[in-house]
Amino acid sequence: MVSRPRVYVVIPAYNEGPVIARVVTEVKRAGHAVVVVDDGSSDATADQARAGGAVVIRHPFNLGQGAALQTGIDYALAHAAEFIVTFDADGQHRLSDISRLVEALVQERADFALGSRFLGQAPNLPPLRRLLLRAATAFTRLTTGLQVTDTHNGLRAMTRRGAAAIRLRQNRMAHASEWLGQIAASGLRYVERPVTIEYTAYSLAKGQTIADAVFILLDLFARRLYR
Amino acid sequence: MIAQFILSILLAGILIYAWSEYGRSPAVALLAVFVATAGLYFVWAPEHSTALAELVGIGRGVDLILYVWVCLSLIVVLNLHLKLRTQMELITALARQLALADAQASDFISSRPGARKPRQTSDRNA
Repeated sequence: MVSRPRVYVVIPAYNEGPVIARVVTEVKRAGHAVVVVDDGSSDATADQARAGGAVVIRHPFNLGQGAALQTGIDYALAHAAEFIVTFDADGQHRLSDISRLVEALVQERADFALGSRFLGQAPNLPPLRRLLLRAATAFTRLTTGLQVTDTHNGLRAMTRRGAAAIRLRQNRMAHASEWLGQIAASGLRYVERPVTIEYTAYSLAKGQTIADAVFILLDLFARRLYR
Repeated sequence: MIAQFILSILLAGILIYAWSEYGRSPAVALLAVFVATAGLYFVWAPEHSTALAELVGIGRGVDLILYVWVCLSLIVVLNLHLKLRTQMELITALARQLALADAQASDFISSRPGARKPRQTSDRNA
């Protein structure tokens, strides 16, 4: 048995067949273990990810990105990962940012390193989407008290201890705020680092809309009503 | 008189429902108890409901009770929503366990010497 890689990169994927193999191959080449959580895709996502060299975990049906991330984290924790990185499947994140975030964990003795496109760069970010993200950030800052600049960034790195403190219950997109709420509640140290997000026609077509944002707010509100 | 009895039975049902829900969501349960009790009171004392309705600016006591009933239904809908959400969490946990167990099984198969490569084709049952 070869020694296990220290960094596990968790990639949630739902119908990402056209792009997933390339993303997986690149991350593998950097020497990281890759766990793709195929969230009940109806296309060849699982086969493509396997072909790229990833471990593939398949949800029997679509549960949502939050649920997929939690499944990937559970797998990585069970396989003695030292660091866990969450990464988007659509190729909008930059490979070099993975090591940069993990280095930040080590150097700053932090348990979470969060990517921020507003500290870094986001070429081709449409103005309306920028506004939406700003609003989401303001809302999350208000509700969690964390002073972060970009709350809806899929690129995050965490230590084992950090990952163990996370238990996502928002299956759908509201998990972004949930991450920050749980990071705040854990009392563990977090840092933010600039990352680059490259918007392509592909990733933009799969992004969030204003309507999604409204549903996320309703979801978060409903959550507060019961224990 | 018949209507009053029927309404009383329905409202009593709501009270029992609220009581059984207390453990899961005290806020919803207390609200339901409050509304149902008020409903019961006004069903048997309609003249009081008319007085109260006039006080808050609604024409007739019957209208007031109708509005209260609508509110009550909304609370029940909300509670059902929360219940569905709880079920979704259970389903998620189940699906996750299944997916992880599946991944572990294929880990095991591919780690045995002379093992075949894990299946490459789609494993959907055609």
